[in-house]
Amino acid sequence: MNDILLDVQDLTHCFRLGRRTVLRAVDKVSFQLHRGEIFGLVGESGSGKSTIAKCVMSLLRPTAGKIRYLGVNICDPGQFRAHKKLLQTSRQMIFQDSASSLNPRMTVADIISEPMAIHRIRPPRGTHRDEAAFQLRCVGMDAAYLDKRPGELSGGQRQRVAIARALCMGPDLLAADEPVASLDVSIQAQIINLFKHLQAEHGFTFLFIAHDLAVVRYLCDRAGVMFQGRLVETAPTAELFRNPLHPYTKALLSAIPIPDPRRERARVLEPFDPDRFDREGVLAEAAPGHWVLKKEAP
Amino acid sequence: MRRKNPFIYYGGKALAFVISVFLLSAAAFYVSRLAPGDPLVSYYGERAEKMTAAERAQAEARLGLDQPTGVQYIRWLENALRGDFGISYKYKTDVVKVISARLPNTLLLGGIGFVLIFTGALALGALCAWCEGRLADRLICRVGTVISCIPEFWLSLVLILVFAVQLRWLPSSGAYTTGGGGFGDRAVHLILPLAVTAAGHLWYYAYMIRNKLLEEVRSDYVLLAKAKGLKRRTVLFRHCLRNVMPSYLSLMAVSVPHVLGGTYIVETVFSYPGIGTLSFESARYQDYNLLMVLCILSGAVVILCNILAQVISERIDPRAGEGEVPEHG
Amino acid sequence: MKPLLEVKNLSVSFDTPLGEVQAVRDVSFTLFPGEVLAIVGESGCGKSVLCKSIMKLLPRSAFIKSGTILAGGADITRCTQREMERLRGRLFSMVFQDPMTALNPTMTVGAQIAEAVRVHQPKASRAEVRRRVLELLEMVGVTEAETRFSRYPHEFSGGMRQRCVMAIALASRPQLLFADEPTTALDVTIQAQILDLLREIQAKLHTAAVLVTHDLGVVARAADRVAVMYAGRIVETGTAEEIFYEPRHPYTWGLLRALPAWAKDGEPLYAIPGMPPPLINPPKGDAFACRNEYALAIDYQEPPPMFHLSETHYAATWLLDPRAPEIKPPVGGWPYE
Repeated sequence: MNDILLDVQDLTHCFRLGRRTVLRAVDKVSFQLHRGEIFGLVGESGSGKSTIAKCVMSLLRPTAGKIRYLGVNICDPGQFRAHKKLLQTSRQMIFQDSASSLNPRMTVADIISEPMAIHRIRPPRGTHRDEAAFQLRCVGMDAAYLDKRPGELSGGQRQRVAIARALCMGPDLLAADEPVASLDVSIQAQIINLFKHLQAEHGFTFLFIAHDLAVVRYLCDRAGVMFQGRLVETAPTAELFRNPLHPYTKALLSAIPIPDPRRERARVLEPFDPDRFDREGVLAEAAPGHWVLKKEAP
Repeated sequence: MRRKNPFIYYGGKALAFVISVFLLSAAAFYVSRLAPGDPLVSYYGERAEKMTAAERAQAEARLGLDQPTGVQYIRWLENALRGDFGISYKYKTDVVKVISARLPNTLLLGGIGFVLIFTGALALGALCAWCEGRLADRLICRVGTVISCIPEFWLSLVLILVFAVQLRWLPSSGAYTTGGGGFGDRAVHLILPLAVTAAGHLWYYAYMIRNKLLEEVRSDYVLLAKAKGLKRRTVLFRHCLRNVMPSYLSLMAVSVPHVLGGTYIVETVFSYPGIGTLSFESARYQDYNLLMVLCILSGAVVILCNILAQVISERIDPRAGEGEVPEHG
Repeated sequence: MKPLLEVKNLSVSFDTPLGEVQAVRDVSFTLFPGEVLAIVGESGCGKSVLCKSIMKLLPRSAFIKSGTILAGGADITRCTQREMERLRGRLFSMVFQDPMTALNPTMTVGAQIAEAVRVHQPKASRAEVRRRVLELLEMVGVTEAETRFSRYPHEFSGGMRQRCVMAIALASRPQLLFADEPTTALDVTIQAQILDLLREIQAKLHTAAVLVTHDLGVVARAADRVAVMYAGRIVETGTAEEIFYEPRHPYTWGLLRALPAWAKDGEPLYAIPGMPPPLINPPKGDAFACRNEYALAIDYQEPPPMFHLSETHYAATWLLDPRAPEIKPPVGGWPYE
């Protein structure tokens, strides 16, 4: 299986909250990312989707489970050290709030070229500054912004800078944690188009985390649905929206607002009682490529 | 809400206190022996300098100073646990007696000073927050900052010059007039030391209250409280001040040592017969036994206040010290 | 019917070190009892400032430059804070975006609602207040109200907290409720529930509501009438049906077309080019002109007036002038059948 870029097996991550309380933010989650696909991870706040992204990016150490990236087990410190440069350069991440994830004291040029400077990569287009200008053009901003600081940019522009910073390393895997959630509708459309365009051009694998299902439906090839730390269903996006199987997925899909007054008022919510959610079980293939959480046969 | 057994909780705190005090006593004992000087001088006075080597050795053996420091400490600890803290070299009486004669004076000065700072800061901070940006606030901020920058000893000297030397309104030193000692007399003697103690600390805490209050005033729940029709006064006092209190209380608990340290300086300048002047003397004359007890006493107060601050911040605020996941739905 | 709220030519500005920020410019609208008006726009368009300026909840750097606000028949434009304290809660109340921060974290939920009840009934006894609080909690759909009464906000989920905020807002039976992005911070599955609750209560108590939002899905579900705001001005206003099925302003078209829900497979999403203009020295003429693909020469010189389309439908664009070229709206109605 050469086309699997990332293989996550039984990933579990627990946060200690108090002396005795432990929150299972991610609970036995398994999924695979194929090369060049856009995989959407949806769920409510607190469902563990951001934690997965952080584990995949080695920003958090999983409590249990395995994450293999290009065959390297990144949870193993020895293997991680052996492939440190590869792992750090070919995986990049974009955060929701670029106002706080970009250092306010650095200029745009410094922000974009910092990863290259850290990893001592010679910029393919001359100086660091030239490379930064090129990357900035790729995300639709001109070189006049090179000397600005994040505070002088709008939300959409900051997110573009964050994208340029991630893409200057030519990543194989890009994870984006709610990258458009805090943007306005018209700006959000610009950024989504940019993602789609850049992904087609660079061919990176894209882990896209969102709570807006309409965005996931538009952008992603495949999607996974998270609930209370469990991955309850995963399928190609079209299949997932046409034929949701898990009750939570059904409830979630029925909750997508429709921008049409008559339809929206007539929309019936699919009931779902979180108290009756069964955490146990494993993903079982219900249709080709369509996996859903099911209780194991006794 | 699940909370830990209060027995275990406070027991743990008490244990931490005992261990801290024990470590403090050991450190104080060792460090005090490192200081240069001759303890015999404070015990025998002038006579110590004329002693022969043999007499000296005998005198040291009598006071137990010939033993290694470790042995001395263990012996001291044994006696201390039995309630015997030894005698003061300088006063030739029981240490506890010496201290208990001075303690009420310091408690009076420090206690009233602390209450003054505590309430004054609260009132001043709330006043500034209430008229934020207006003339009163700006004026108080300027004056407060200037006053808090003046060193205590200098301020004391200026006040003595003005009120005691020039105007002759207030006495310049001591805690009471010899022979006198009535309530009015004591109060008059307290005014200047109190003024200095309060002036040095008051603004620091008032400014903190002011800024914390303004921070709270900017939050959303204040907007909601206003939107539901509460009066500005109610919002500021019932909501904001209440939310500021836990952090203010724990800060004030931590501040006790600062205020204490301040009174020590003030006592020395005003020759006020309290623990501060006593500590100063005991350190100067190598009065080991007295120094030890004073160290432990001050240290215990500091540690106690810190533990208190911790308890306050953990117990008063319903959010702190808890890791419960909110229910779903 | 007499209008409950009448805003006429209201302009609100902020004094900042960089200059005067004109957050709301010449806004007029009316609201009738029992009606839900949605104010839609992107962040920074002045929709939130508009609401807070009516309730006088803005910081001191903000001031009403011109215009009048008539609420419940009285002119409240020049009311002092003290006079407003008497109106807040009784005449109007507000629900905020983030229920996490809108509740005081150190007071129990019950105490916070009780406070609001006491504003309205200062002489009520303890038991009466408690009964009323429980009644309110039940009304907003908080189950097990008895036990939840003495709980702290951090023990509640986001949806429950928002319900409590609504209970507070409704405690003194206001005639008008401002809801500032009431569902934005909530999960998708909770959003619709809160909106339905809002409509249900609003119909039951005959409360009027102003719903501020950037989400057209929210608008479609809950609003009777819609006002679209851009750069401090209302650019189009009409009933929900008129705005969604027959929009006339190019900005409304842009907002609707940019929704991923309407994207067709394989086609890029429509995006309004550029960014909103700065509100310090806003451009002469129509603020939307430089992002408008249908802009006319006059758009850059003179702001368009409100063109009257129907009894309820108005739009401010020169495209509606009889001299302007005919343009077929690129959107209108749900494209999938």
